[in-house]
Amino acid sequence: MTLEAASAGQQISRGRIVTLIGVVALVVLYVMALQFTPPERFQGLAQKIFYIHPPAAYAMQMAFIFTGIASLLYLLLHDARFDVFAEASAEVGMMFGLIVVITGPIWGRPAWGTWWEWEPRLTFTVMEIDLFGGYFALRGAVRDPAERAKFAAVMGLMALVLVPFNHLTVYLFASQHPQPVVIKTSKPELPFEMLRTFLTGFVVFTILYLGLVMQRYGIGARAAIQEAADA
Amino acid sequence: MPDTGSYMIAAYIVTAVVVLGYVGSLWRRGK
Repeated sequence: MTLEAASAGQQISRGRIVTLIGVVALVVLYVMALQFTPPERFQGLAQKIFYIHPPAAYAMQMAFIFTGIASLLYLLLHDARFDVFAEASAEVGMMFGLIVVITGPIWGRPAWGTWWEWEPRLTFTVMEIDLFGGYFALRGAVRDPAERAKFAAVMGLMALVLVPFNHLTVYLFASQHPQPVVIKTSKPELPFEMLRTFLTGFVVFTILYLGLVMQRYGIGARAAIQEAADA
Repeated sequence: MPDTGSYMIAAYIVTAVVVLGYVGSLWRRGK
């Protein structure tokens, strides 16, 4: 199967619609979080960062997992679409990663008394984002499209190893970062209003991920077609 | 309850700016 220009344009158009839905949903999330969810007693209003920081971290991890899976599929099947998708998902993952590493310290200052702590969860997150920064540096450094796709796929697959480790840091190490309060074996420890807003955040960031990746995939596919035509 | 509203506002603004900035970037590149 090959990349097609018409299909790339369609992906961009569809992605824009889904992204627009995602942006509207983000506004709804903001209203829910700021207006219809009670503040937490000990942290005050800063606790409401809870409704964007973990969903952004989840979207980042999801994006990097899909990059790793697409990278593996590229290595197995040599289908250029997987390479384009892997790049698209990695770029969107970096955008969510940026939100995570900015909102984290903003929350850490009032909650922990410090902007940053080199504790396992935070360190692994920085390493993950750093690795994907390297992924893009590698892509930019290799001119031949087939070589670039192969090298990037190996790196995307290797970077996937960090994702479960990052998730498990709060269990494996003495971590300052809190353990999950919702996704765990026992019942969630949140009041209903907080849980509802928190879960809405995950839905919103999933929609945003889908819309943004669709658009970025279309843009990447179009660039790949152009590159092949110029060669 | 501690007065930490400014941290919340900063985090929400940063998130909106990053998301909308990226949406704008994709819009421009997708033309």
